[in-house]
Amino acid sequence: MKRSLILILAFFGIFFSDIFLYAQMNDNIWFDGLSRSYFVRDAVDKSQTNDTLSARNISNGYNLLDLNTHVNPIKDIEIFAQLRIRNSFGSFFGSGTEINVRQLRAKGVINNKIRFSVGDLFLKQSKFTLFNYNEELSDYENDMLKAYRDIIHYENFYTENRWRLQGIQTDFSYEFDQYIRNLSFDFFVTRPSGSLQINESTYSSDLLLSGGSMVSEINKRIKLSANHINLFELASSGTQNISVRNPVNDMSILHHFSNEKYHIEQKLQTGFSRRYWLNSELGDGIPDSISNDIKGMYFEIDNKFVKKDSSLLLSLGYRYVDPNFRSSGAQTRRLDYAAGKINRIYPIYTNMSLIRQPLFDLVSDDQLYNQDISSTLMVFNPIYSNVLPYGDATPNRVGVYLKAKSTNQNKVFLSKINAAYFQEVIGQGTEEKRDFGLLKGSFKINFHRWLNWEKELSFSTSSESEFTSRGGKTVSSVDLFSHQMNVFVNAELINRFFIQTSYKLFTASGNEFLTQRDNYGNITYFTSTQIDQKDHMLSFGTLYKFRENVYANLRHSWWGSKFTDQPFLDYNYNRLILILSVKL
Amino acid sequence: MNIKTKFILFLVSTFFLKGCTKIEFEGPSIDNLYGDFEIIVPLSITNTNPSFASNEQVGFHCEFNKPVQWKISILGLSTGALREITGFSNIIDSNVVIWSGSPSQVPFFSEEVCSIELTFENELDTIKENLNIASAKTYENGVWLEDFEDGLPTNALVYYNPDGGGMTFSVSNDDALLGSNYFKMGGRVNWDWALGNLDLPLNITNVSQNSDDLFINIGILSDLQDLHTGQFINILISEETNTPFNDNPNNNASDLFEPSMEVYKMKVPVDWDGWQLKSFRYSDFEPVTPNNQSINFSMNPSEIRAIRITCLACPSSSGNPVCPENFGKDVRTDIDHIIFTQNSSLLDQ
Repeated sequence: MKRSLILILAFFGIFFSDIFLYAQMNDNIWFDGLSRSYFVRDAVDKSQTNDTLSARNISNGYNLLDLNTHVNPIKDIEIFAQLRIRNSFGSFFGSGTEINVRQLRAKGVINNKIRFSVGDLFLKQSKFTLFNYNEELSDYENDMLKAYRDIIHYENFYTENRWRLQGIQTDFSYEFDQYIRNLSFDFFVTRPSGSLQINESTYSSDLLLSGGSMVSEINKRIKLSANHINLFELASSGTQNISVRNPVNDMSILHHFSNEKYHIEQKLQTGFSRRYWLNSELGDGIPDSISNDIKGMYFEIDNKFVKKDSSLLLSLGYRYVDPNFRSSGAQTRRLDYAAGKINRIYPIYTNMSLIRQPLFDLVSDDQLYNQDISSTLMVFNPIYSNVLPYGDATPNRVGVYLKAKSTNQNKVFLSKINAAYFQEVIGQGTEEKRDFGLLKGSFKINFHRWLNWEKELSFSTSSESEFTSRGGKTVSSVDLFSHQMNVFVNAELINRFFIQTSYKLFTASGNEFLTQRDNYGNITYFTSTQIDQKDHMLSFGTLYKFRENVYANLRHSWWGSKFTDQPFLDYNYNRLILILSVKL
Repeated sequence: MNIKTKFILFLVSTFFLKGCTKIEFEGPSIDNLYGDFEIIVPLSITNTNPSFASNEQVGFHCEFNKPVQWKISILGLSTGALREITGFSNIIDSNVVIWSGSPSQVPFFSEEVCSIELTFENELDTIKENLNIASAKTYENGVWLEDFEDGLPTNALVYYNPDGGGMTFSVSNDDALLGSNYFKMGGRVNWDWALGNLDLPLNITNVSQNSDDLFINIGILSDLQDLHTGQFINILISEETNTPFNDNPNNNASDLFEPSMEVYKMKVPVDWDGWQLKSFRYSDFEPVTPNNQSINFSMNPSEIRAIRITCLACPSSSGNPVCPENFGKDVRTDIDHIIFTQNSSLLDQ
């Protein structure tokens, strides 16, 4: 009897302890993530492209699983790890399978007051200090290309215009009864890139980015904020005696008020930057010195009018950005045309083995994009973004802008407008200044709402135009026009099953001068270039939405470019793509 | 703050920012890079009848609409002497671009008519002028000169391989660079590198220039025909101050060039036809024995005590066939007009 009792107690002890452990695992560990299957078949249209050297068609693809593990060892701390398992099509029994840790972060709260994060951080400040601006051609793009954009953004960690950096961050806030309502602080130190071996005996220095923000709500209507950021190299971590310094300070005051019908905001912000290279540790008692020292400022006033029923949003502003304003965190581009990255789809074409210029690739190839902060202005292509190549922080611009978004009450019609006029503050290569015009608009009709259909049927179109002109002498005059048009039809045939078609046409013509800069960002040369090209993309496909963020997409695209009086030859390709995306 | 105040503030900010606008532009001028070339002020010459012997100079002036690579060529119509002056600018300033009568390389100008041409890279424009040299420049203005006009200096030491053929280590007067005489240095020693050398004592203790500002100029005559491709001369300069120039009178050579002494060397391959005037900055000379820790290679021009010109050639005989293609060829590295100048080379003075 006694023995039986012990056995029963032992059984229940083990059984219930296991249940307790299982429950603890549920409380302390949880998972999410993303799974994607991706298959493409690209083919060259040899009837229109003189290319007997390239394969007629190329297929590739992969399956991947990003498993996010969240571990909460105690209530106030979470450890996050993203593990990627990727298997390329064609590989077998582990060959071609990659397993790596894609993200790792620990975050928590100290004493219920101070939050901290260590590891992979996603950081953003103001639009002039630390901001990851959207890439070109993406503003008014049709939904058919959204799957590509999602992949580009996901693979390059582009989330809410934040830069993904590795380091440590902390933030905390205070609330007050008198004078001001609250005060919040945020500080971080990150290392965008570590010391690298350049050659046998030369190592680059560690590049660090540190900063802090302070936001204070003075009263119900006024909010003050200030940001500081500094990109700098640690000369002692490499073998070079020269290291960059780029501190930027800015502040803003936001005034807002509302009534029952509308909300109005006025924001005034300004900031100052300095960038120089420090020559240090020169030996023989030579004192430290600085070179390529430039200082700049910016100023912006922005006014917003928002109707509370969301039927109208209007934003009007004036902006001045000095030619010498340099802010690495805000002016680093997602696309760097000088980085030497080549297209994955037929990078070389024709029997002359020409390097193919990208267009469709900008929409579809995530490997063309950049994740590293740059201390100097990156090279841009004026065809795709000449007005604001570095976003709102583009240096040497002064002008006004207008943005509007409107919809009717039942959201049958949606429209957006973005217009701007800017001028250079000082000329480039001539005293004459460039004038820039920008006019973008989109319009969408939800027929299903209009006709009260259950199944979705919508039509959307957009037009984006950029104008650049410079008068003066014929030799230095500029006249560039680029235009992008998108048309998209989306029809739900049966429940959650859509057929979609879209057409994108991009044209650019005129002339411009491409700017060449040295390692310290100084302009060294202007390359005169003539532009006359027309790019097109026609797509047709199906989409099945299992639920939000779980979909299967199958479509075919015909795309190509036509050049007139250019050193490139025309090309035409087509692509079949299948994407199965599951957000866990 | 009412709307009027805000509007005034906005206007003030706008004008303030407009006031910040600079009038210059970023980067190089596009006009300069891509604009058509124009001559704004034609070429003028400050002295069309210069007397270079009296240290007169000729200045050139011309102005263009953009910086270009330009070249002034001065050609002696009798001697064929040529002087080229080049630059990259939008102005040729007569205070800066001057000619003192020297050629870029020998032959030298004499009293003659010279044609002057101004040309521009990648442009078709050419401007032509003439001038007449009233008196030619002299080349004796140096801190030390040996021109062999009075034969070999009394303290000079000559050594050459007595077993060689056709050895010519003596003063001759048939084809001098300047004046009448020069030192003929050549012959044929097929089995060995060294043919011989000329050692000259010198004393320039009054020189205050550092080694960057002292130039050693020497005229060298190579083969006129049947060039010996492996021939060269070594110029050795000794700063040994404790040993007499000819400490051992039995060896036909100076004793200031031992491996234990502060001696510097310049190797000059001799592979052209005819005379050339070569100039070397003293600081470009290298220590002969750099690994000898007991020597302080401090290079002080005022301590120069001797110069040695050594004639060498790549051996070609079957016993030592380094350059067999030169077998049977005579080496010729004749020298003339060894002159030390300050601050610039002889032809740039």
